[in-house]
Amino acid sequence: MAQTEKFVLNMGPQHPSTHGVLQVQVELDGENIVGAKPVMGYLHRGIEKLMESRTYAQCVPYTDRLDYVSAMNNNLGFCMAVEKLAAIEVPERAEYIRVICAELNRIASHHVFIGSLTNDLGSATGMIYAFRDREKILDLFNIICGARMTAHYIRIGGVAADAQEEFLRDTQAFVDYVPAMLDEYDRIFTGNEIFQARMKGTSIITKETALKYSMSGPNIRASGVDYDIRKIDKYGAYGKFDFNIPLGEQGDNWDRYIVRLKEIQESANIIQQALDNMPEGPVMAKVPKVLKPPKGDAYHRVENTRGELGFYIVSDGSTKPYRVHIRRPSFVNLQALDSMCQGMLLADAVTAFATIDPLMGEVDC
Amino acid sequence: MGTYFSKEKLDLLKAQFDTAEYDAEQAEPAIYIGKEQLLDLMKVLRETPTYAFDRMSCLTAVDYKEYYEMVYCLYSRRYDLWVTVKVKLDHDNPEVESMTQIWEGTNFEERETYDLMGIKFLNHPDLRRILLPDNYEAHPLQKDFVPLEPRVEGGVLTWHKPKNLS
Repeated sequence: MAQTEKFVLNMGPQHPSTHGVLQVQVELDGENIVGAKPVMGYLHRGIEKLMESRTYAQCVPYTDRLDYVSAMNNNLGFCMAVEKLAAIEVPERAEYIRVICAELNRIASHHVFIGSLTNDLGSATGMIYAFRDREKILDLFNIICGARMTAHYIRIGGVAADAQEEFLRDTQAFVDYVPAMLDEYDRIFTGNEIFQARMKGTSIITKETALKYSMSGPNIRASGVDYDIRKIDKYGAYGKFDFNIPLGEQGDNWDRYIVRLKEIQESANIIQQALDNMPEGPVMAKVPKVLKPPKGDAYHRVENTRGELGFYIVSDGSTKPYRVHIRRPSFVNLQALDSMCQGMLLADAVTAFATIDPLMGEVDC
Repeated sequence: MGTYFSKEKLDLLKAQFDTAEYDAEQAEPAIYIGKEQLLDLMKVLRETPTYAFDRMSCLTAVDYKEYYEMVYCLYSRRYDLWVTVKVKLDHDNPEVESMTQIWEGTNFEERETYDLMGIKFLNHPDLRRILLPDNYEAHPLQKDFVPLEPRVEGGVLTWHKPKNLS
């Protein structure tokens, strides 16, 4: 029998399937993966340090650049943490608009997931379909705040401006389109034999492993753990809506795909309920022009597209935060990459990178 | 956000650990503990069936100039319960037991805290820098941090303390 020797293959930081500047040192025995070590830091900008020399309002645009495909969710997390620290009450209408934007952004982010996953699995067509539909959401953001990706729309105390009729009408049209969109995805990818063969039973994360590595978001739910901050904490207006948490069974690549696909429909349901029950009123609380939260600290977490996003803010009573720490879900989730890849073939590593869905802006911070 | 650890429970812990303290005037007081007893306290929080803190939601450190403070936000999925544990560390030699001995998922977060804040974690399986270059010799989140200057020496990017410009 032929003798084989282990060797290390560097994937990335410039590799099309690592979705950004993630480097993975893959240890191989022939074509089988023995270990996969993520190496990060190529996109480190020191956002936590930068925030220490900015006022609270100036910090918000930096959160857009964390997870830049779901910027609204990051705005929401930071603003809610500051509101908790400074005891600011947000008007109800603003809470509803925030939920609509956060859920739209969740769908847009899952579009990126589906697009890059299908692209990695050899179907460039899939990417075009997902990005075509993502464009519709980015156009909605363009209407509501003039920016497509780095929105900076959710502000401390509410939202930047009231939602226009045009935005509400087009959002309704998009929500009506979602079932047809998902049906089309099912016909193009979900039913595809190659797609299924590549994903079913590969890179399994068991329930125990997912809990051990503190995973969160769709990744832990695909392993069958019912853990969604929207449901647990009911922050903002989420307590008023009725929605389900899609769960997977065995935690393979397939489950991670299906869970996200089902989440798109759930997000659309939440948006529909928010549109139907949208209250009238102001969209901005009375926030002092010079915001000086009292001395102390606050931790607030929200469910962003990738999991549990937490902001820990320390105030020394001045206009600038003394310290900001960001608990980024993709960063913590990446710990599971090693055990996901072990025993798989090198070609399956690409699928594993895609379904764990790390976003380097958030990982490197 | 769930319920916070009640004062009765805090008193129970205070009776069990002589270095445990909390500020009774705050609505949601953090437990302060001496660093020698930290690991034992965390084991109690994790393993007592009526607490069952199975998630380390946030692990970070703050530089207060005279001392460092480690901050641990724990969450119990079973009881929807929160608690914050804080430890003060000596500014000259910040060392603390690694929480990977109890929650394996804190590995990367501790490496990040080591990298950016310079806290050394004892008994950590793989304490290396995670975001900054391996040959970088400063910890940016410290309050007296001065950015290092990059220079290429012999084809390798190296980092140096800035020369005094004044």
